[in-house]
Amino acid sequence: MSAPSRSQVLSLYKQIIKNANGFNNYNFRNYFLRKAKTSFRNASDLKDPVAIEEAWNTAKQELGVLKRQSVISQMYTFDKQVVEPLEQKHHIRS
Amino acid sequence: MLSSMLRGSSVALRTVSARSLARPVGVSAMMSPIRLYSSSLNKDEISTRIIDVVKAFDKTTASAQVTNETHFAKDLGLDSLDTVELLVAIEEEFDIEIPDKVADEIKSVGEAVKYIETNPEAN
Repeated sequence: MSAPSRSQVLSLYKQIIKNANGFNNYNFRNYFLRKAKTSFRNASDLKDPVAIEEAWNTAKQELGVLKRQSVISQMYTFDKQVVEPLEQKHHIRS
Repeated sequence: MLSSMLRGSSVALRTVSARSLARPVGVSAMMSPIRLYSSSLNKDEISTRIIDVVKAFDKTTASAQVTNETHFAKDLGLDSLDTVELLVAIEEEFDIEIPDKVADEIKSVGEAVKYIETNPEAN
């Protein structure tokens, strides 16, 4: 497979972020968000096509892991961490 | 006296029948499949909520003034990866999914507001 296009990379990045957000557990969620952000940013200045393809394949594999693990994470309940806002939806700062 | 008793009973009957009628109506209203599509969303509310999301985004500089005309790349200095993150945050705020093709076109606060406005599932 040749090097991925720009829109493909952005689409993969979006899917990874969305799946990482699916984690119920604060620590896992933020770990995967941070990991995705740093690895995509580091990969954004890759020039070598072989390295690009390698990064692309790793990211795709990680998306698979994320999908499975976030579903598993939703089967368990976790206590909220103190740093988490209790009311996450539509909270409008007044 | 008889007539007043009759009247009283008819009133009682009416209230009973009204009550028994009222319940199924209430239940059916609750179970009805009608969705009130985004009737509560007006343009101002959408743009304040989007601006709030943009301001809360950690790469946005605190000093930056966010308005409807704010451009993600030019005014906020976000690159394509940051824009994707921001759009995911907006998607979550409004409980929708922006298709990739549309998401590529959204490059400013105003465009995001326009898209949310036309999306019937946004809430």
